[in-house]
Amino acid sequence: MHHIRYFLAVSETLNLTKAAERCNVAQPALTRAIKALENELGGELLRRERALSHLTALGQRMLPMLRECYDTALAAKMVAASIRKGETAPLSVAISHTVPLERFGSMLRELSRALPGLQLTLRRGSANEVAENLRSGTAELVIAGPLDQTWSRLDTVPLFEERLGLVVSTTHKLASRKEVEFKELSFETLLINDGCELVDELRARLEANGIFNTAAHHVGTQEDMLTFLKAGLGVAIMPFGMVGTNGICRIELKQLNLARKVSMYSVAGRQRTIAGATLFNLLRAADWDFDTGTKQ
Amino acid sequence: MTEPKLSDILEDSLVRCRNLDAPLADRLQAFANELRRLGPRFAAAVDMLVSRLAECGAGATAPKVGEPMPAFLLPDDRGRLVRLEDLLNEGPVALAFNRGHWCPYCRINIDALARAEEEIAAEHRHVAAIVPDRQKFAVWLKSDAKAPFPVLTDMDNGYAMTLDLAFFVGDELKHMMVSSGWDPSASQGTDNWMLPIPATFIVGTDGIIHARFVDPDYRTRMAIEDLLGALRSAT
Repeated sequence: MHHIRYFLAVSETLNLTKAAERCNVAQPALTRAIKALENELGGELLRRERALSHLTALGQRMLPMLRECYDTALAAKMVAASIRKGETAPLSVAISHTVPLERFGSMLRELSRALPGLQLTLRRGSANEVAENLRSGTAELVIAGPLDQTWSRLDTVPLFEERLGLVVSTTHKLASRKEVEFKELSFETLLINDGCELVDELRARLEANGIFNTAAHHVGTQEDMLTFLKAGLGVAIMPFGMVGTNGICRIELKQLNLARKVSMYSVAGRQRTIAGATLFNLLRAADWDFDTGTKQ
Repeated sequence: MTEPKLSDILEDSLVRCRNLDAPLADRLQAFANELRRLGPRFAAAVDMLVSRLAECGAGATAPKVGEPMPAFLLPDDRGRLVRLEDLLNEGPVALAFNRGHWCPYCRINIDALARAEEEIAAEHRHVAAIVPDRQKFAVWLKSDAKAPFPVLTDMDNGYAMTLDLAFFVGDELKHMMVSSGWDPSASQGTDNWMLPIPATFIVGTDGIIHARFVDPDYRTRMAIEDLLGALRSAT
């Protein structure tokens, strides 16, 4: 780890003497460490030209990865230091309306067990809203389907995939069917969650399959969607993973062939909190290979 | 048909070496010999890596006997967050850093630790393995050896890095490993191609290291007798 720290100091100062001073180490030791790192990475990282010293192409290429590694090690240290009595561990998470929280129940339980000072703030929002939460720092971590964002600092960790299909109330006339074709939907009232990340994609798919002017109800949250579904106000096309079996059933929609990836988003290079870093690794390490409807 | 990869060709040898009724060192050596016979180019690249690591003193600066073992908070194979102090509350512990479920030497090592478990537990001592593999793969490694002890996930080798136990594999061996069927990126969930140096620390309930085994040659591991002896004398 100290090799990487020395190299990062060199990359910032471009001066071995200054870098050694900054790291509080003798210059020969710093030089040896850089050499060792160069050995590991298989090439020179630094072109030593006194006042004109600069990173080589390899050094430039490796710099972001090395910085990330260093941050990872720092986070590992920070997370391990136990929280003193009475200290709090705040964490703010934003989750899109369409992602069910139950999926994360066991991880949140572990987090709160391991960090007694945990103070969790959970926000719900549309894809755009949670993305904005992340950008502004109102949320440290975001969990959502695909975000329509081209932000270079957006760090995306895919968690799991969910297949989409038709969902109806168990009392609905289609409930006994194994699969349904698009054209059958032209007689149904559709329930549309305007907060869903895939709402535009779904509209396009419906139109491509000849469904234009179907009657529709609009909701803004998944909970309301489920209530509408169970009350028999209509049918919905939604991620299968969302749906508990209670009062509701999932039916294949032929030719839909659509899945969505649920990912965890954070901001690269932004300092994490203890709770944030712990949850980040907990979710990355977790086995998400459960029944998300992806397996046929 | 695609050509079988070196890892596939060696799977039978691996199972045979793993199941040998012999000391751990002999089982590891038997597999290393098989690899040299069936994949001489790969074995040569490994020799190069090991001498490179030895030359730059990799692992030498890891925590030493008499020093405190640095704290950690890592998820285990059941998704539970485990602290070093939680483990020490139950008695002295052997922390075994391993490279991952894909590594034949680690599979043999974990198997040997699992075989020693009865003896270890009888003395109220414990084992915990630490790998950079994610939970699913930690579970695989554990069940491959029917290991009763926890296998902890050290994401991105973050903890190993703080102990100066992680190194970059380097492009040459990386390409060779991928084509041979040993690719840790998927199980690690990152493609930074960093691996831990397999190391074993025997830590007493006071958090002090009683014994350690660190060798940049990942084909050698702490002998089970040494591990048992050190665990026994630790308090």
